[in-house]
Amino acid sequence: MIFRFAAAIGILTLAVPAFAADQVEKAPPTGAYKKVSELVKLPDFLPGLGQLYVDPKALPAGPFLAYDREGRLVSTVYMLPIDDLANKDKRFDDLAAPGGKVDHVDVYFNAGHPGVEKPHAHVVLWHVPKADETRVAAK
Amino acid sequence: MRPSRRHVLQIGGGVLAGLVWPRPAFAAEPVEILMGGKADGSHVWFDPVGLHVEPGRTIRWINLDPGNSHTATAYHPKNFERPLRIPERAEPWNSDYLLPDESFSVTLPVEGVYDFFCVPHEHAGMVGRIIVGRPNAPSGGPAAQALPDLALRAFPSIDEIMQRGIIRRT
Repeated sequence: MIFRFAAAIGILTLAVPAFAADQVEKAPPTGAYKKVSELVKLPDFLPGLGQLYVDPKALPAGPFLAYDREGRLVSTVYMLPIDDLANKDKRFDDLAAPGGKVDHVDVYFNAGHPGVEKPHAHVVLWHVPKADETRVAAK
Repeated sequence: MRPSRRHVLQIGGGVLAGLVWPRPAFAAEPVEILMGGKADGSHVWFDPVGLHVEPGRTIRWINLDPGNSHTATAYHPKNFERPLRIPERAEPWNSDYLLPDESFSVTLPVEGVYDFFCVPHEHAGMVGRIIVGRPNAPSGGPAAQALPDLALRAFPSIDEIMQRGIIRRT
């Protein structure tokens, strides 16, 4: 189910152009985005994801914008609680996809962290090729 | 916070350089419980998950998970109205969020069974149990009903902890 959902998001993202209103290519993004590590007590740079920004009103699903150590956008991340994905009455419609072109998508389980305290799925829309995921790897 | 509680927050890899686990059980030294997790955050843990110590021993939790924050929080109504799962005469503790390489210590003078959890990861089963001395009354009972299933299943049994002294994560 999670994977069908992720595939739908990927298709949706490919079809929907980036929101022109906000500059998101370089950190910090403009608009309502805030650095996640300033909203909750999390490391500023998360190995495997990077430096995250989110519009607090979009929590918990996101989108979270993820940047490498040079401030370049690498992915857009959604965090979808497992309970919600298993709830037939819960939907995630019209999630913003401001990052533009998607190269590939990763979906995996996350046990939780400050800000999204329950087990959830990370849906990562990579805007860079697979080989460039190392830009957000642990040092 | 109560004055009787020893609360230490240490930051920096230099501090951690000397904290190689497991450590010899010198009575004056704290016993260490590591907070860890897989790189993608799919699995998180306390290690050891079960521990037997004598009264007055200091426990130190250390976050060695580079990609997450963790807490060491006693099951007590003062902590987010969680059920009481430490001795009634014992002081509850809550480390608050520990970033990578931060640590928190508490000394446990009262005999009994102490169950604790990580605030953002209780639903993922990140809990642990410390037995101080040789208590008569086990924890659990009606309070157990209020815990997530994964948390309940993660506690080592009192018998197992008493027999082995330390239960590493599996």
